[in-house]
Amino acid sequence: MPELAQPASRFREIARGKLADARVQTALDEATNRLRTNRVGAWGNLPDVEELRQQAHEIRMAVIDDLDAHVSRFTAALEARGGHVFFARTAAEASGYVAEVCRRRGATLAAKSKSMASEEIGLNEALEAVGVRPVETDLGEYILQLAGEHPEHILAPAIEKTADEVAELLSRAGGKPVPPELEALTNAARTQLRETFLQADVGITGANFGVSETGSICLVTNEGNGRLVSSIPPVHVAIMGMERLVPSTADLAVLLKLLARSATGQKLSVYTTLLTGPRRPGETDGPEEQHVVILDNGRSQLLRGRYREMLACIRCGACLNVCPVYRKAGGAAYSSVYSGPMGAVLLPLLVGLQQAPSLPHASSLCGACTEACPVKIPLHELLLDLRRDLVEERVAPWLERVGFTLWSLAWSRPLGYRLTTRLARLTQPLAGLVGPGRAWARGRALPRLERRYRDRR
Amino acid sequence: MPAVQLFATCLGDLAFADAVEDAEGLLRSAGFEVVFPRAQVCCGQPAFNSGHHAAAERVARSFVRAFSRELPVVVPSGSCATMASHYLPGLLGVEPYDVWELSAFLVQAGFRPLPRNAGRRIAYHDSCHMLRELRISAQPRKLLAASGAELVSFARPDLCCGFGGTFSVRQPEVSLAMADDKLAGAGGATIVTSDPGCLMHLRGRTERLGSGPRVLHLASALARGVGA
Repeated sequence: MPELAQPASRFREIARGKLADARVQTALDEATNRLRTNRVGAWGNLPDVEELRQQAHEIRMAVIDDLDAHVSRFTAALEARGGHVFFARTAAEASGYVAEVCRRRGATLAAKSKSMASEEIGLNEALEAVGVRPVETDLGEYILQLAGEHPEHILAPAIEKTADEVAELLSRAGGKPVPPELEALTNAARTQLRETFLQADVGITGANFGVSETGSICLVTNEGNGRLVSSIPPVHVAIMGMERLVPSTADLAVLLKLLARSATGQKLSVYTTLLTGPRRPGETDGPEEQHVVILDNGRSQLLRGRYREMLACIRCGACLNVCPVYRKAGGAAYSSVYSGPMGAVLLPLLVGLQQAPSLPHASSLCGACTEACPVKIPLHELLLDLRRDLVEERVAPWLERVGFTLWSLAWSRPLGYRLTTRLARLTQPLAGLVGPGRAWARGRALPRLERRYRDRR
Repeated sequence: MPAVQLFATCLGDLAFADAVEDAEGLLRSAGFEVVFPRAQVCCGQPAFNSGHHAAAERVARSFVRAFSRELPVVVPSGSCATMASHYLPGLLGVEPYDVWELSAFLVQAGFRPLPRNAGRRIAYHDSCHMLRELRISAQPRKLLAASGAELVSFARPDLCCGFGGTFSVRQPEVSLAMADDKLAGAGGATIVTSDPGCLMHLRGRTERLGSGPRVLHLASALARGVGA
């Protein structure tokens, strides 16, 4: 997965660019604050949000504890309803399977509903390589596709785009000017996308949840495009992370109570769609074929370790919206479709710490993410654990390891502490010239080391 | 007279000795004898939060050698109090200590500060560990209000100031942008915080900018008043 790799300095470089762009800063601040405020309000209107979060956590963890059985149950249930299930171990296997479905059907146009999993596996590139044109139909994703960019937020992909930028993109795509007003923009996108829905040979969606008991896929959208994409084209392919299963529809109801509230503050999103297999004899709509690609792509490595709680994530984006670092750095700095705290935890786990060494440190460990997570993933503690792994797996730079070791040897005894801090006081004027002192002094005065408290007593 | 052990913390000892003296003064005014165990160094947090557990253990052992479990340990730092109470026992495999963050200790001891901040506008900055791990947010405000201050809320009280230990030097640009948002969010009021880390970061930023609100440690705000 080379497109996911994240070299050490990348976060800082991209963040620096975003910080310099006042429009992006305003857009990030307004959007995250609006979503956060909505979530806080929606949680407040629940009779007992803590009990619900705990219940949701338990449902998710019970599935993760017994995931193989849930995958088998889901597969059997869906196959009994005439659906096809493919278990993909890697991104390449998943996109290869979808490409093969398209090839077999002679498809040239695929309509896509928003799917983080398809972004994760680089599906659009794989489809283009076999002559299939993928068209994103989620408004935000469509805008990004027109701009040739990737999502900056798991829920609100075009979070950094202003109305003017969107108007320009839609005007160019439609060949006539569109004013930068919400209704006009929506109507333009609607007109442009309508043909895609009607002509697509294949519809591709993600899956917010899969229900093991029934073999159903649950799609949650606000634009209704998920419903069109999964019912009009003759073939529907859903790509679902292997951990997205829930045992029953009753459990699904618990998670749905939290998903939209945590994401946008809505009680439910405008469309909540449950799909169970392809069209059956006597039914008037639905696809002729339905395929569900269950995606591992690194997830099964997390099943048994201390990071298994990360698999409980329901991709609501609540952690992004409260994160003071995401809010300044933006999504691109995280170098994958997954950004913010959940991305900083998940990407190193999926691709390996070596591939994303700066992400565990792309956090001030403030803990706002853990507090906002509807399924109670201790995100900031997982980041702390990943930092420990960076050191233990010797991914942390050599100089950093030596520095902390020498520091700890000196500060393990009061004498060493007194001598080194005396030295630090004497060499104060030099502190801002090298290493961490230099990074500090770039925008902050270094503290003045005066007479120590212990010497004043 | 009941006694407490004062843990100055490394940052307090080295860079904010005045604030630690103020904390000591408040504890005495509250009727406590203040013991300063001279073998104390640091809780090991800088290494712990960077994932260097062996280094953190080595330094945290100094805490075990310095402090007794017989008397409360009072810390004028929310994050060091969190380290000492929540993480240090697990890291070292030792029994917990009776650790108190300063404001929480003073409030439970029934301490009433002198009215040194009558009419002063103060924005209290919750440091993240103190707010979210120790769950202490009412006590410092209660003390400031009792000192006569008019408490004003930050525009976004939930946001971290951007210190975050080594985060401040690993991601200096984002860290500074977070500081600027925090400083602007005080709406001109004096900023008071219970953490030497936030204090060093926010005050360092205003000093470099040559403008911005005053930033004080809670102990100094209570012992001397923010106008002093």
